[in-house]
Amino acid sequence: MMHREITVSVGGGRELDRAGLAALITRLPGLRVVPVDQIPPPQVLVWERLTGADELPSVTSDTVILLLTEDEGFESLTKTIAGIISRDESPAALGIAVRQVAGGEQYLSPALAVAILQKRQAKSSVKEIQKSVIESLTDREREILDLVGQGMSNKAIASRLYLSVRTVEGHLASIYLRLSVHSRTEAMLIAVKIR
Amino acid sequence: MRFTSLELGIILLKMNASLRTHLAIIGTMSDLHRQPISYDLDCLQKIIADVSPDLLCAEITMEDWEREDFSRAAVEVREALAPVIASTDIVLIPVAPTLERYADFTPDSGWRRSFVLTFDRLLRWGQIQADDARTVNGPWFGAFCHTICWLTESLWSAEERAAWERQNRALAENIVRAVQRDRERRVLVAVQCQRLHRLIPLLRAHNDLFRIVDYQDL
Repeated sequence: MMHREITVSVGGGRELDRAGLAALITRLPGLRVVPVDQIPPPQVLVWERLTGADELPSVTSDTVILLLTEDEGFESLTKTIAGIISRDESPAALGIAVRQVAGGEQYLSPALAVAILQKRQAKSSVKEIQKSVIESLTDREREILDLVGQGMSNKAIASRLYLSVRTVEGHLASIYLRLSVHSRTEAMLIAVKIR
Repeated sequence: MRFTSLELGIILLKMNASLRTHLAIIGTMSDLHRQPISYDLDCLQKIIADVSPDLLCAEITMEDWEREDFSRAAVEVREALAPVIASTDIVLIPVAPTLERYADFTPDSGWRRSFVLTFDRLLRWGQIQADDARTVNGPWFGAFCHTICWLTESLWSAEERAAWERQNRALAENIVRAVQRDRERRVLVAVQCQRLHRLIPLLRAHNDLFRIVDYQDL
């Protein structure tokens, strides 16, 4: 039974990287490197991402993108990205990833999956720590932090709670200390996050 | 440096006294006259701004204050206190329990009314003689004013006197609550001067919470 070759294009990154990548893919069985603008379009576009700000090319619905990256720093992905592969992966893994995304499946390097999970866990534990610190605040401090989160000034908070401005400032100093923040903006961000 | 136990005791007492809430009371006078008067509110504004208390307890109901509805408030709240509050860090505490003011208890007719109006004219004369905040809030005008107010109240009905007393007690409680909520602060109470002879004894009963001082010493 004859397997049809999977057409692959390489884009993004630096020219030398693209050339090396194309050479590598050519050596992998069942894959064929084609120009990115050929008709019919390539089935897979391996796109080397240098920074998070890299703009992805627009592709037709016949092409899926396999992102080659070295970090897990992406917050959202476009629909056309079918897989993400780490630069640390072996050439064989690149072949597997290309075949998988070309077959309509998704691919995520195990190393990146672990890094993403760790990052999310770290984020949630930061939030948990902040929550536990906020729970340790007095009712009045929590009330004031909430009003800070609403963008109210010290005078407005004082007027709302019928307290003096000095008292509000005192509570804020205590809040900053407990939250380990140094500015109103930082406290405000936490207040907004915790809501 | 070594201190004797007596010296140490005095120092601690002084420290404790400086940490306590200081409260001053000033009387306002717009209600002395039935008709709208040209009333120099700059003087009152200047006192408030100069004293710059942490909290200013004023005669407006919480409901009106929160709605920013000054239409029913006394002229001094509307035209003097509210603008000062808006332009400074002073926080106003609305302490009026009701909208009723001293003049509302004036009898509608009869000889009692005539006497009350006579006393009111006497107060107006006194105000013209006093003519500045320091004198008005001084001991001589205070004694004169309190005597006139006491005589006026004696012409009211028993129910009206009871209602006036209830109102003053509620007002004093509101002030005490404000002090309890926010300790060790400088609090200025600005109320119509006819209340002073009622209010001051009620507040003096709480000298464990605050020390009453002259407004110049706040």
